[in-house]
Amino acid sequence: MKLHIACFCVCAVLLSQSCIKNAPLSPEADIVTFTIDTSLTTGAVFIDQANSKILLYLKTGAYETGLVPVITVSPGATISPASGDSIHFNTDPQYTVTSESKEYHKTYTVQVVSVGNWFFNFENWGQNSTDKYQYPIEPDGSVIWSSGNPGVALSGVNKDPQSYPLRATTDGYQGTMGADLVTLAGTPLSNLVGIKLFAGSLFLGVFNSQNAFTNPLGATQFGQPFKGRPARFTGYYKYTPGPDFQDKNGNIITGMTDSCNIYAVLFKGKDRLDGTNVLTSNKIVATAILPEGSAKSNFTRFDIPFQYVSNADLSGDLMITIVASSSKNGDTYRGAINSHLVVDSLRIINQ
Amino acid sequence: MKNKTQHIIILCLAFLIAAIGKTQAQTDSVENNSKVSKWEHNISVGFNFGGTTPIPFPNTIRKIDAYWPAFAPAIGYEQIYHFNKKWGIGAALAFEVKGMGTRAEVLYQQTIITTDDGGTFQGIFSGKNETKVFNTYFTLPIYAVYDIDAHWRVKLGLYAACLVKSSFKGSVSDGYIRNGGPLGEKVDIDHATFDFSKNENSFDWGLHAGGERTVGKKLAVAADFNYGLRSLFPSSFTGMDFSMYNVFLTLGVRYRL
Repeated sequence: MKLHIACFCVCAVLLSQSCIKNAPLSPEADIVTFTIDTSLTTGAVFIDQANSKILLYLKTGAYETGLVPVITVSPGATISPASGDSIHFNTDPQYTVTSESKEYHKTYTVQVVSVGNWFFNFENWGQNSTDKYQYPIEPDGSVIWSSGNPGVALSGVNKDPQSYPLRATTDGYQGTMGADLVTLAGTPLSNLVGIKLFAGSLFLGVFNSQNAFTNPLGATQFGQPFKGRPARFTGYYKYTPGPDFQDKNGNIITGMTDSCNIYAVLFKGKDRLDGTNVLTSNKIVATAILPEGSAKSNFTRFDIPFQYVSNADLSGDLMITIVASSSKNGDTYRGAINSHLVVDSLRIINQ
Repeated sequence: MKNKTQHIIILCLAFLIAAIGKTQAQTDSVENNSKVSKWEHNISVGFNFGGTTPIPFPNTIRKIDAYWPAFAPAIGYEQIYHFNKKWGIGAALAFEVKGMGTRAEVLYQQTIITTDDGGTFQGIFSGKNETKVFNTYFTLPIYAVYDIDAHWRVKLGLYAACLVKSSFKGSVSDGYIRNGGPLGEKVDIDHATFDFSKNENSFDWGLHAGGERTVGKKLAVAADFNYGLRSLFPSSFTGMDFSMYNVFLTLGVRYRL
């Protein structure tokens, strides 16, 4: 009978190990919302979680007087300086969030973004510190361009700038730096969420990683605050379509050739458009679209006049975006792997 | 975990040694008893109930929403050598499925997924997880047998098992993953699948303990407990940040040939 008892004891000990333990304290240290008086802004606040930045688009007065933001953070986390404290912009203000578990600290930098000169040469590039993808930087240090790169970073690509569909190239117009957009094959991980192709993209706006899997078109948010009445959209590009056009499921469609896409959209309001409505929203006031995106082996200049909607109303807040893609149907994951678009010297010319 | 494993192995060996020791002390009396057949041959059929489970549960598992056993048959052939009326030593060869499904809720669970092309994704996931395990093994248990009386028998020993076919698949849903770790950007996930079938260890071993009761001259009902002591995945596997073990109970019948 001793055996019986021993067996029972062994089983009892083993079973007692398989119980639900107390919940871990949260390791999260996000700024979740950052609210400021909208009468002071020219565009909606964007929290760039991947690069730990709060991007503000302010009217001149607000920049000079400072702001009193209302901030919320991850459950249980604490923030310093506190929500409700005023901030000024003589230096870039910083916030440090400490997780509930006290183990983790995340420091956000507040940056005021302004676009003075609507002429983009893509000479300066930054690199994401953890995932190593590149993004263009303006001469004054502000970041107004984005791409699908932050989304591709989630799909298990090598942490190397050349693994991403948007990267810098020294083969820009007249031998300067330029923006290189390449359509790449999906990864085994992206296949799990049904993405078999990443089109190279570049746009004026921001990328909201939170939606990258659930609503990829909603993740690409287009627009930067704009003043004036644009007349023309000009620039240089060259384009080589990839050899095999494939559909969303990765099947090769014979007889189809990939084409590129370059356009600018002017629209009303402070809120950005996204991949679902950038060419269809009723907020659109004017568009300038490259008429055809076939192969161009040498740098080719384009000069496209903005087409205004009838009764265009330019009062109030305006935003503008420029969008370029190495596969025109990349938003629906159709295109040719290795389609290659280089853009440079993009310019919005006001009337 | 290593310490506990060692304890269990020592415990098993102790039982085996005790069994054999006792056997030898009684050998004389057995050899005089011609009525006891020394060899016994059995076939067994049953079903496995249990789970492939982390031990202990990590605190990142918050709730088990559902558990269901897989259709997991086990068939086996067993030989027992009786030293005497009470003690014997047995071995079996079994072909069996160990499987189950669970739906669980997890919080901040670390995962590093390495893909065939060399890419990796590392992050922490919070949300729902559904896992379906269906593994086929060739199992060889070796154990001491003790007949308590004419009806009851208990066994204790070890098993070794070879993985013949593996399946470890599932999905994550209704949650989010943070890229890189707790401070990475949050990415919502409504549904994504995973398949770790190819990552499993091809060999498993562990503790084997059983009890049976005769229900007629040739037939017995049997319960065998198999407690895996080798993690289902090698330590190089980082898809989950905890080790999982096969813990299964085979319920079935044994027929004496």
